[in-house]
Amino acid sequence: MSLITIATREPLSSSSSLSPLPLSPVARYLRPLAIPASLLVLWELLARFGVADPRFLPALEQVAARGVAEFNHGGLGSNLLASLERDLIGFVFGAGAGVALGLVIGFSRLVQRLLGPLLLVHRQIALFAWVPLISLWFGGGETGKVVFIALAAFQPTLINTWQGVDSIPRHYRELADVLIFGWRDFVWVIAIPGALPQIFTGLHAGLIYAWTATVGAELLLNIAPGLGGRMNEGQHLFQMDLLLMCIFLLGGVGVVFNIVAGTLERLLMRWRMP
Amino acid sequence: MGGGQTAASSGHESNIDVAALTRRRLLAGAGRLSLGLIVPGGLLIAWVIAALLGRLPEQILPPPWVVLDTISQSIQDGTLLSNTVTSLRRVAEGFGAGALAGLVFGTAIGLSKIARDLVDPLFLALSQVPTLGWLPIVVLFVGIDEGLKIIVIGWSAFIPVVLNTCQGVRDVPQTYMELGRVLLFSRWSKLTTIVMPSAVPSIFTGLREGIANSWQTLVAVELIASFEGLGYLMAYGRQLFQLELVLSAMIAVGLVGLLIHGLLALVETRLQRWRPEISR
Amino acid sequence: MKFLHIAALLGGLLAAAPVSAETLIRVGYPGTGIDDRPFAYGDYIAVGHVKQLVEDEFKDVPDVKVTWTFFRGAGPALNESLAAGQLDFAAGLGDLPSIVGRSRGLQTRYLASAGSHDALYLAVPTNSELKTVEALKGHKVAQFRGTNLQIATDRVLEAHGLTEKDIRFVSLDSNAATAALVSGNVEASFGGSEYLDLAKRGVVKIIYSTKNDDPTLGRNSGLLVTTDFEQAHPDYTARVVRAFVRASRFASDEANRQAVFEIWSKAGLPVESFEADFKDERLSHRLSPIVDAFIVSRYKDQVARAKAYGLIKKDVDVDGWFETKYLEQALVDLKLENFWSTFDAKGQKVTEGEVEHTKAASN
Repeated sequence: MSLITIATREPLSSSSSLSPLPLSPVARYLRPLAIPASLLVLWELLARFGVADPRFLPALEQVAARGVAEFNHGGLGSNLLASLERDLIGFVFGAGAGVALGLVIGFSRLVQRLLGPLLLVHRQIALFAWVPLISLWFGGGETGKVVFIALAAFQPTLINTWQGVDSIPRHYRELADVLIFGWRDFVWVIAIPGALPQIFTGLHAGLIYAWTATVGAELLLNIAPGLGGRMNEGQHLFQMDLLLMCIFLLGGVGVVFNIVAGTLERLLMRWRMP
Repeated sequence: MGGGQTAASSGHESNIDVAALTRRRLLAGAGRLSLGLIVPGGLLIAWVIAALLGRLPEQILPPPWVVLDTISQSIQDGTLLSNTVTSLRRVAEGFGAGALAGLVFGTAIGLSKIARDLVDPLFLALSQVPTLGWLPIVVLFVGIDEGLKIIVIGWSAFIPVVLNTCQGVRDVPQTYMELGRVLLFSRWSKLTTIVMPSAVPSIFTGLREGIANSWQTLVAVELIASFEGLGYLMAYGRQLFQLELVLSAMIAVGLVGLLIHGLLALVETRLQRWRPEISR
Repeated sequence: MKFLHIAALLGGLLAAAPVSAETLIRVGYPGTGIDDRPFAYGDYIAVGHVKQLVEDEFKDVPDVKVTWTFFRGAGPALNESLAAGQLDFAAGLGDLPSIVGRSRGLQTRYLASAGSHDALYLAVPTNSELKTVEALKGHKVAQFRGTNLQIATDRVLEAHGLTEKDIRFVSLDSNAATAALVSGNVEASFGGSEYLDLAKRGVVKIIYSTKNDDPTLGRNSGLLVTTDFEQAHPDYTARVVRAFVRASRFASDEANRQAVFEIWSKAGLPVESFEADFKDERLSHRLSPIVDAFIVSRYKDQVARAKAYGLIKKDVDVDGWFETKYLEQALVDLKLENFWSTFDAKGQKVTEGEVEHTKAASN
């Protein structure tokens, strides 16, 4: 699953390395900042001295000023909230369905055989290929967008939940038999906790996919309050500062999602292995 | 369940068992296959019946024969093929560019901790932005022509290739590196004989994710701004409310996805066969 | 719990239906103003919207709420909403999208004309070397597919010996098309009066317009209602029609010419571009709601051409589609039976209406 790598990866420069030299504390803190800082300086210089076309590279303070203005009067804050709202509603529906169906498939060989091929085919169809069909069936308004976002969250959560249940070691099931666990006990005490890490991975990926789908849905479907709409506006009116501000927000939400999901996953690990 | 054949001697018993076993296996396999076909088959039958009864509003789902007719039409006049080829070409170009850049870049930062430290925050930040989010900005810079598609598709492949290549290069076991030092390998030899082969599985994972990403991004970009390609067919079908066109393009997208998936699985098994000779 | 997903889908669909005792009258308009402003321009629907004539019509009925939705995706997006049961009235829907919708089984009724003889403009960047329609062959041209721009364009191409296959069309909505034209991403663009202002400012130049060409090359649009709504609320349907006839009455009167342009300028285009669009043309030429022989023959013709160009697969029955009883009733109620002129299938005047004698305020 493509986005899982981004979602769960460690920073490039963690732990093991090929270079045995120790770093001085100064270097350790300054190095990560070196490139971003120098790029920012370069940008500012280019914009300031009019070397770069101001349409393409507005000065940093212009972007910042635009950002402040947009939040105060331009409604960028409410656009952001509208996008997030769609995203989360779609995510809850899609991930909920994905986890539920994944559990059912994981536990029941029959359902697995029944639905397996259908789901395999479903996975082969690129996510965005569904947009025209969804907009023809549900319209291009809120319903259509939320359905698309739910679909985006559905796929990874389904696969991961299914795999999570599937990969519960045999001896857990045997243990349940020995202890004469009822079906419900097996599910609640052994199976679900055993599958939880994988389920969480799926939820994490689903969150990222849903955010991507939110941006895509807003760019492809009807105009409505949201970041996508503002980005369209920025593109048509050649307003680079607005676009950069939106990109910043897009990335910011992605970072927040990753941090939240990552923290939850770590808490889960700690709870499982005290 | 041997089909009534009695064993004349113990020598024949094993043959009968094998026959019985094979038959059981075939039946089980057929059973599993037919089980898997129940749901899709049922849906298909329901579709046909509903269409025959006139119960299916055309704007929800055109009858299956209309879809088939559209598919065969567009195969005959070559539009489906030419659009598929266009889409595939774009993926190949975008993926090729992005993967190549990713390999070089990933290897470079995998080898040098300094480079990693420098690059990581920027890379991390940039990769959090959904690929499609870059679209409006890139359009302003390069327009809506092929360049746009190559850049955006390439970027979506670049990220996983860099990440996995870097990981693979870093994870070369220390023992190998020491062996290289002991054998007085040059830098270049170390790279080509030790590091790269050891990193192949990770690199391959990255390439696989890269091409999956590329295909996903292609469809999205073609929906937004294009005048040929499978995504364009879908967008056109949407504008003119021709669901059968949308569906036939979706089927093509699914088939290509399946093809890519299958090819990669094939290459991967080949690689795995070769790999055990390298490790341990 | 597997049904949660299905339940969500159903919930979404049901949410489109009117809720509780309140009756929603959901009006959709296929277009937006500049920067996607929720304002229309170029027809009497815009006048009805700004002057709130539909809301006024239902002032005495407390349970009725009128909502307006403006679709950036124009006709095709509006069709999607109709198909999903999210709209009751399509006000100003272009001829091609309404024909396409009907050919795909959308159950609608055509109540009145919302515009005819709308001009089509071909714009190119100021420094372009393209000078004629024929020169477009092989070039990248922006055009909003599925809207009445498409069929009008196809007819223009046919008249100049070209087909769609000779041109590389990119489907872009009007804002995107303008941006693409200005930045050089496309070499030409077919569109409406939004290009007049750009031409005046020297950003683009217009190399062709149907204004001075064959009158049957103009674009049409209509006021439509879903059969569901019409059957459930025939009385409300009649009142909505009446409100729009009032709007048309105001917008067709030459004495209101300046006021109408100013109402349209709320969409973000300057008054001058409307003056240029309507130069030497009476308002009533385009803004009459009458469904006469000309309108009927236009639509029948568009159906035939749409089929010929491969835009629709099946024939569309026009006679059974038009439902003019509400329009006729409104004309009687408002005593406007003789207000507008009627034209025959070739566009020749048959009866002369009072509107022909209205005069613009002397300047």
